[in-house]
Amino acid sequence: MKKEMGAKTFKLMIAGLFAISATIVPVTASFAAGEALGTKCTTEGESTGTKSTSLVCKENKSGRLVWAKVKLSDSNLSPIKPLRAPRGSIEFWHWRAEDKAIFDKIIADFQDLNPGVKVTQVISNSSDYTNTALNKVQSNPKAAVVTTFRGSQFNQAATAGLLKDLSNEQFAKRNVIKSMMGAGQYKGKQLGIPYQSLFNNPVYNIEIFKKEGWKLPKKFSDWISYCKTAKAAGYVPMAWMGAFRPQALQIINSSLMNTASTDAQLNAQIAAIDTGKDAITIKWVKDMAEKYADLRDAGCFPDNPKGVTEAAGNTLFATGKSPILPTGSFSMGGIVKLNEKMDGNMGLTGFNFTDDVNARYTGITNNTFILGINSKAGRTEQRIARAFISYLVNGEVATAYANGTKQHVTVLDVEYTDSNLRNTASIMSERLVLAPRFTFLNQGVRDILEDALIAIVGGETVDKALEEGAKLIKQKLG
Amino acid sequence: MSKTEAGARKGASSRPQKSGPRGRLARSNDRAYFLMAIPALLVYALFYLYPTLTNLRYAFSEWDGLQEAKFIGFKNFTRSLTNDDTFYKVLGNNIEFTGLVVIFQTALSLLFAIFLLKNTRASVALRTLYFFPTILSSVSVAMVWQFLYEPNLGPLNVFLNSIGLDFLALNWLGSETITLRAVAFTQVWFHTGQMMVVYIAGLQQIPQELYEAAEVDGATRWQQFKSVTWPMALPTTAVVMAYTTIQSFRAFDLIYAMTQGGPNNSSSILVTLIYLTAFNEYRFGYAATQSIYLIVFILVLTAIQRRLLRTRY
Repeated sequence: MKKEMGAKTFKLMIAGLFAISATIVPVTASFAAGEALGTKCTTEGESTGTKSTSLVCKENKSGRLVWAKVKLSDSNLSPIKPLRAPRGSIEFWHWRAEDKAIFDKIIADFQDLNPGVKVTQVISNSSDYTNTALNKVQSNPKAAVVTTFRGSQFNQAATAGLLKDLSNEQFAKRNVIKSMMGAGQYKGKQLGIPYQSLFNNPVYNIEIFKKEGWKLPKKFSDWISYCKTAKAAGYVPMAWMGAFRPQALQIINSSLMNTASTDAQLNAQIAAIDTGKDAITIKWVKDMAEKYADLRDAGCFPDNPKGVTEAAGNTLFATGKSPILPTGSFSMGGIVKLNEKMDGNMGLTGFNFTDDVNARYTGITNNTFILGINSKAGRTEQRIARAFISYLVNGEVATAYANGTKQHVTVLDVEYTDSNLRNTASIMSERLVLAPRFTFLNQGVRDILEDALIAIVGGETVDKALEEGAKLIKQKLG
Repeated sequence: MSKTEAGARKGASSRPQKSGPRGRLARSNDRAYFLMAIPALLVYALFYLYPTLTNLRYAFSEWDGLQEAKFIGFKNFTRSLTNDDTFYKVLGNNIEFTGLVVIFQTALSLLFAIFLLKNTRASVALRTLYFFPTILSSVSVAMVWQFLYEPNLGPLNVFLNSIGLDFLALNWLGSETITLRAVAFTQVWFHTGQMMVVYIAGLQQIPQELYEAAEVDGATRWQQFKSVTWPMALPTTAVVMAYTTIQSFRAFDLIYAMTQGGPNNSSSILVTLIYLTAFNEYRFGYAATQSIYLIVFILVLTAIQRRLLRTRY
C-alpha cells in the first residue's frame, strides 16, 4: 500500500515537473534576448517572433513601452502535429515553379512519414494557372490540393463549390495566424489556408535611420516632416518607381486602408468605384488623392517620378541614396542581390495616411497561395490532401519553406533564420489589413485610378487627373 | 522553268482528257498534288484559319475567357468607334509610331547601306556592328534602353547634364509627349542594321555601267543618287517599308517590356492594347473586336503602300 502511494506520488511529481517545464521552457525561450513579460522595451511593434510564446513591444496603460503576450492563433491550444495520410497518390496544383525544389524536399519527407503515399507537383505559370487551372482540376479526381490566388480566382473557386470547408480542422485553428486567414474565407467558412504572407509596406534602411537619428513616421504629418528632413539632408525620401504601376501603387493599399470606418464600408466604397456606381471624383477618393499631392509637394518622390523605373527605384534604395523603398517585403531579396551590405539592414514600417496614431490599421498584409482541398477529388485523395496541408502548416515544415524561399508564412512557430525575414517579422504584430488594392475586381478600373494617382505625383492637378480618369472609367463600363 | 513546274503545267493542261492512260495519269497527278498540299492546309487551318474565325465569333460576344461567351451583336464594334477614347488614343499612337519607324528606319538603313556598300574591311566591320542589335532579344534591348533613358540615374541624362545640355535631359519614359518617340527611336536602333543588309543586297544588284554612264555625263554624287540609285532601289524600298511596317505593328514585346504602354497609355499601340484588354481586364470579346480593327488597319495601310510604290516603279 505504502509502495503504491509512493509510486503514485512519484508519478504525480513527474507529471507536475513536466507541466511546469512545458510551460516555462517555451516562455523562457522568448526571454533569451532579454525580453520578459512586462519589462521595458524600446521599439513599439517589435516582436520576438510568431511563436505560440512570442512577445510584442506595446504601450501599456501608463504609456510605457513593455513586452506583452500576444495571441496569434484562433485557439488557446498549441499547434497540432501533422495528420497521418492513407495510402494513395494525389496531385498538388500550384504556380510557383521557383518553390519546386523546396516542395520536392518537403514532399519527400511527407512521403517518408506516410509510406505508400505519393504527392506529385503539377506546376504551370501564373497566367496559365489563373486562366485554366480551375477548369482542369474540376474533372481530375487526383488533383486534391489546389492553390488559388487571393481575389477573383479564390472567389471563383469558392462560388463554384470547388473548395472543401476547413473551418473545423484543428490545424486551421491552431497552427496558423488567425489575422492572416481572411483571404481564405468565403461566407464565413474557411475554404483555404493562405500560406504566404507578404507585406506591402515601406521598407526602410535601418542604418540610415539610426545614423540620422530619425524616428519612423507614425502618422501622415510625420511622413511629410520626414520627407522634408530627408530631402534637406540630401536623400531621395522615397525610392518611388512611377514608371512601373504595379510597384508604384503598392502605397495605394496604405492610402486606402483607413478611408472607411469599417471593413464592410471600405469594401462597399471600392465596389462602388469598381462597378461605376460612384465616379472617382467622389469625395473620399479626392481626399485620398490629395494626400498624394501633399506628399509630392513635400518632396517625397524622386525627380521626374513618372519616369523612374523599378530597377532605378531599387538602385536608389540599395545604394543608400534613398532611406525608404515604398513597395514591400517581396522587394528585399532583390535589394540584397543589388547590394549585399543591405542584408539584415532592412525593416518594414506601416504607412499611416491619417493623422490618427490609433487609426484602425497601421499596416498591410497580403496573404496568397491559398491551400485548399478540391471537393471534386476522390475521398481517399481528399484525406491525403488534408494530411498534406496539415503537414505544410506544421511549424518545422513551414520554417523550412519560409527560409528556403525567403517568404513569410502564416504559420505559427516558424523560426525565421534569414536575417531579413527576422527583421521584418515584427510587422505581423501591427494592425494589419488585407491589401485593399486587390478588392478591386475590375483591373481596368483600378489601372485608370492608379494612372490618375501617378499623374498627380507627376504634377497633374487632383481635379484634372480624377476627372479624366472618371471619363475613361465611364467609357470602360458603359 | 524547272522540270517539276513543267510537269505541273503539263498535268494541268491535260486535265480535260477524261479517259485513256494520259487521263488516268492526270487524275493521279491531281490526287498527288492534293495529298501533298494537305499537311500545309491542315497546319494553316489549325493555326490560322480556325483562330481567325473563332476570333471573329468572339468579336461579336461578351466573353471573360472562362464562362460561356454571350452574343451581343455589333455592340463591341460600335463601342470602339463611338465611346472609347483610349482606342482612338492608341490608334493615333500606332499611326505615329509606325510613321516614325518606317520613315526613319528606311532612311537610315538606306543611308548606311550607301556608305557601307563597298566590301572594304572597315565597311564589313561597321556592317557587323550595325547589324549586331538585330540578334539581341527584344526584352534585353528594352531593359538596356530603359536603363539608358532613366531620367535621374540613366547615362543619357547624366551625360547631357555633364556637358551643360540640361534642357535636353528629358523624362524619356515618363512624359506623355515624349515616351512614344523614345520607344520609336529604340525600335529604329534595333532594326536599322537588319534593313541595311537588305538594302546592301539590293544596291549591289544595280549595274555599275549606269553609274559609269552618269559619271561620263558629268552627274554629281547627289544626281547619281537621285537618278540612278533611288529609282533602282525602289523595289528594295518596297520590301523594306513593308517589312518595317509589319515590324512596327509587332513591337509588342519591346513596348511592353519598356513601358507597359504607359504612362497613361501614351506609348500603347494596338497590339499592347489588345493584350491588356484580354489578359489584364479579361475582356476577351472586346479584345477580339480590337484585333479585327487591327487587321482592317493593316489591310488599309498595306493597300496604300502597294498603290504608292506600284506607281513609282
